[in-house]
Amino acid sequence: MATYNKITPEIAGQLKAVVGEKRFFMGEDIDPNYSHDEMPIYGKYLPEAAVDVETTEEVSGILKICSANKIPVTCRGAGTGLVGGCVPLAGGLVLCTRRMNKILSYDMDNLVVRIQPGVLLKDLAADALTHGLMYPPDPGEKTATVGGNISTNAGGMRAVKYGVTRDYVLALTVVLADGRIIELGKSVCKTSSGYSLLHLMIGSEGTLGIITEMTMKLIPNPICDVSCLVPFRDVESCIHFVPKIKLANLDPQSIEFMDADIVTSSAAFTGNPIFPETVKNEDVGASILVTFVGSDEDELDQKMIRLGKIAEEAGALDVLVVATSSNKKAAWAARSSFLTAIEADTRLIDEMDVVVPVDKIPAFLIYIRRLGEEGGIRIRNFGHAGDGNLHIYCCSNDLEEEEFKRRVKIIMDKAYTKCAELEGQVSGEHSIGHAKMVYLRESVGEDVFRLMGEIKKVFDPDGILNPGKVCDAALRS
Amino acid sequence: MLKILVCVKQIPDIDLVKMDPETGNLVRAGVPTLTNPLDLNALEAAVQVKESYGGEITLITMGPPMAESTLRECLAVGGDEAVLITGRPFGGADTLSTSYSIVKAADMEGRFDLIFCGKESQDGATGQMASQLAERFDASQVSCCLSIDEIGDGKLRATRVLETGREIVEATLPCLLTVEKDNFYGRLPSLKDYLAAKTAPITTYTENNIDGLDLNKIGVPGSGTIVPKIYPPELPEPGRIIRTGSVKSDVAALMDVLTEKGAL
Ligand SMILES: Cc1cc2nc3c(=O)[nH]c(=O)nc-3n(C[C@H](O)[C@H](O)[C@H](O)COP(=O)(O)OP(=O)(O)OC[C@H]3O[C@@H](n4cnc5c(N)ncnc54)[C@H](O)[C@@H]3O)c2cc1C
Ligand SMILES: Cc1cc2nc3c(=O)[nH]c(=O)nc-3n(C[C@H](O)[C@H](O)[C@H](O)COP(=O)(O)OP(=O)(O)OC[C@H]3O[C@@H](n4cnc5c(N)ncnc54)[C@H](O)[C@@H]3O)c2cc1C
Repeated sequence: MATYNKITPEIAGQLKAVVGEKRFFMGEDIDPNYSHDEMPIYGKYLPEAAVDVETTEEVSGILKICSANKIPVTCRGAGTGLVGGCVPLAGGLVLCTRRMNKILSYDMDNLVVRIQPGVLLKDLAADALTHGLMYPPDPGEKTATVGGNISTNAGGMRAVKYGVTRDYVLALTVVLADGRIIELGKSVCKTSSGYSLLHLMIGSEGTLGIITEMTMKLIPNPICDVSCLVPFRDVESCIHFVPKIKLANLDPQSIEFMDADIVTSSAAFTGNPIFPETVKNEDVGASILVTFVGSDEDELDQKMIRLGKIAEEAGALDVLVVATSSNKKAAWAARSSFLTAIEADTRLIDEMDVVVPVDKIPAFLIYIRRLGEEGGIRIRNFGHAGDGNLHIYCCSNDLEEEEFKRRVKIIMDKAYTKCAELEGQVSGEHSIGHAKMVYLRESVGEDVFRLMGEIKKVFDPDGILNPGKVCDAALRS
Repeated sequence: MLKILVCVKQIPDIDLVKMDPETGNLVRAGVPTLTNPLDLNALEAAVQVKESYGGEITLITMGPPMAESTLRECLAVGGDEAVLITGRPFGGADTLSTSYSIVKAADMEGRFDLIFCGKESQDGATGQMASQLAERFDASQVSCCLSIDEIGDGKLRATRVLETGREIVEATLPCLLTVEKDNFYGRLPSLKDYLAAKTAPITTYTENNIDGLDLNKIGVPGSGTIVPKIYPPELPEPGRIIRTGSVKSDVAALMDVLTEKGAL
């Protein structure tokens, strides 16, 4: 296990010299939120110091000092992660990118944008739109940083058609643990030029290097879009419909799944019951929200007509159209509120973000619900049905925290085993952090897990970058 | 069978409308339109009545030809017939001439038992139309309606929301109602109805085919109000969040601002 040093007054002085007095924080001046992300249940750990960086050179200067002194460095974007990724388990320094929030330049001929890592997802999306362009990845939390999105390979609702964050990263400037600055990737459409360290860096959760500049791919903004809500009596028939949408060659932008419970919570939270709980006097058990994009209304109408046909064959209660701007706003506000709605009426919460083959979703959901009932834990779920990615929340309002954790651990252990049985993966998009490391290890096996650790050593021999995360099991044992 | 009229208005997306600082006119060109949200609540109330008691819903709007899209949107969620009043001479109308024009066109479609209106429009926002229409239709009026509890024998019973509580009222038909949204959130159209509405026939009235229309009572000549000038409200200085990075320097910065403004 790596041994680390404390930040002495002398080291603090050196760090301060790099970023200046105003962007260096110690003791009481450190934002207390730096001890956790959006999942405080995984434990709170405060750093000894924090810095706000503004340039690649500053990051390099900071890392040189930290590697020379064996000070752990944990990079933090907006702290919206769900696996404790940005939490400084070994103390040391938190390096925050929130002030690296500039959109640097557009190249309209090649449809790329160069940005700093602290640019917020919502700001990039909005700015691209003013250029008639779309940044396709669309994770639910719009106040996350794009640097964080790259580091977790964030997914989101449009992944069915457009893929995930990884697919939009062309090049990165990265500062290595010892302060060296490297460039990975180029602004080109394809490459076959040696090992892709670019893709190794994407999704590496701040354990291999600090990303300080990114070149991202954009696409022309689709001219029009429409969504259809397809309600079913029960979860099974609802999920069985998903592969049919894909097979029908309808090329949807997103296919989202929601069950009755989450619809009720979200209606109570947003105050607008846009997703119906009954249709034609029948209770809705679960619904699919499908979005299409196209170049004109006729094209979308044709897709909806085809969707209508297969929906009827699949036993859907109806097909409802979300076409007006007011309804679109309300529908997406409701969909985007799911997690926040759960958080709003829940005191204790833990989550899993497994991804399973699409046809295995019902089996998994039925299993997890049974586990919840047996274990006395309320289960809430929704997910990106189109890619088999399920967000499952274990919730409680009345249990003591320790008892909650005990019961949830039993459920999680069994659920991840089931996920493996169904040929699934531990995380679809929220990544590993420290919360899911044991499950990653079980899922990939010892050989692969050790290989990951060896790769980490090549990049970061002293283990100062984000200790205790992804494959760094030593810190915890 | 109840004959139900629902008045709907197409409005510009007010979040996107700008004012021409030179002329003081609203710049509406190219701004996306939508159906006045409260009118969709009125329509939902009408649809619920239709579902419980049977009936036929006629939609009516006055506006430029593109207001047709609002009618189609409403046809998809429960409207049966649609009427568009359009034509240059109707332009520049205030509430007085708008209500006159609507009633004259509605008369062409027969007598209505129930008339639903939005509480107010999001753009004009005078909230005068409902009362003017009730007067001109010679109808009783129930405003702030939370639920329509019973209809029969030429009257209805409804619950109103007051600041101090609830009020249950009885009114004779014809009756004009404006509703609260609580029980009347609009519904999503089914695909079948959405597609059917795209090609449904729409009755169009102009200044030339409305019986007994007095051209002096429509458009600008028929308006009782003149708008000499429009200007944007002066906004108070927006709040500012002090976030310098640390609590200590936040407090120092706050003290500076408060001292500078003479608050301390
Ligand atoms: C309500 C809600 C909804 C969400 N919905 C989705 C969703 O739909 N899809 C999805 O994928 N995620 C979702 N998330 C999770 C979260 O938003 C993402 O994981 C996001 O990518 C985290 O970005 P961040 O800036 O907050 O990063 P942080 O939480 O600050 O950090 C996350 C990880 O990235 C590392 N990191 C951050 N910046 C850098 C950098 N510049 N260089 C190197 N490493 C870095 C950190 O060290 C940490 O390991 C949701 C979260 C919430 C709270
Ligand atoms: C300063 C000013 C300038 C204006 N200039 C113009 C102009 O140049 N051209 C123009 O067209 N309008 C203009 N208007 C708007 C017009 O005067 C009013 O919108 C219209 O008379 C209805 O009044 P309202 O919107 O305030 O209705 P409200 O009384 O607030 O609306 C209540 C309900 O009445 C019904 N309703 C209202 N309007 C209609 C309609 N047109 N068709 C069907 N139902 C309706 C709806 O159900 C609505 O919810 C202007 C308004 C103002 C204040």
